[in-house]
Amino acid sequence: MSENQAAGSSIQRSSRSRTRPKKKKKNLLPQAAILVVLVAVVGILLARTSALLAVFWITGMAFGFILQRSRFCFTASLRDPSLTGSTTLTRAVLIAFALTSLGFWAIKYGAHLNGLPIPGQSYVVPISLATAVGAFMFGIGMVIAGGCASGTLMRVGEGFIMQVLSLLFFIIGSLWGAHDYGWWKLNFMLDGKAIFMPDIFGWIGAIIVQLLIIGCLFVAAAKWEEKKNS
Amino acid sequence: MAEYELDCLGEACPVPLIKAEKELDKMNVGDVLIVAIDHSCAMKNVPEWARKQGHNVELDEVDDGEWEVVIEKMK
Repeated sequence: MSENQAAGSSIQRSSRSRTRPKKKKKNLLPQAAILVVLVAVVGILLARTSALLAVFWITGMAFGFILQRSRFCFTASLRDPSLTGSTTLTRAVLIAFALTSLGFWAIKYGAHLNGLPIPGQSYVVPISLATAVGAFMFGIGMVIAGGCASGTLMRVGEGFIMQVLSLLFFIIGSLWGAHDYGWWKLNFMLDGKAIFMPDIFGWIGAIIVQLLIIGCLFVAAAKWEEKKNS
Repeated sequence: MAEYELDCLGEACPVPLIKAEKELDKMNVGDVLIVAIDHSCAMKNVPEWARKQGHNVELDEVDDGEWEVVIEKMK
């Protein structure tokens, strides 16, 4: 084995890149311990005001952690199929959609069976051309900004400075959007028709149709990757 | 065997990959490209893409949150 060959690697690198000073990893365990304590303290303080706030605090932390560790990226899931032909993340997102569909369905159907008001019905909003146009614009924006909402937040947390700028304009855009929301709703959104799938297909039918659509997209994504890489 | 370097520090996700793709096109088989990145997403998708293209890839964490993707052009 030659001198400039790293252990377990097959790539020959020049001595220059090997001698580049490699900073020693700092031990961050004390900071991590302090952070865990802080998270717990804030959680307890929040729980005194409202148990729900504490739940949001913990689930938010968990979401962020999973997002960061898994490199789960909604932007990449929609961008990579055309950019690199990779649909790994696309399929991961589809699996996530399938799982959340099942969860939402169970919560809503459960409420329906028990004669309770179905939660989250205010999110059943009209879809129209405005939805497609908005989605398209969002797509362009997130690819340029290097992340969607969750991705941007996660990378700001990682310390990627450029996306602090994304976050700033994301906040400005959100506030602006919220400010004019009433007008948009009145003039564009209400043109469409609100569709709640269980009304059309029945409770069992709705989840079957939903999972079938996701399943078809999953197969299409897998085939797309095969085709792009052959 | 030539060695090329690509500084993509501060570049968000798809940019390092596109730059690496363009740089690799210019290179000869057997040349090595070192892409410096600090965007955690690129740390995942650049190596994955390059491996799928059939190149030899190695990932080196040079510092906390800073990586070097070493790509040996194979074809």
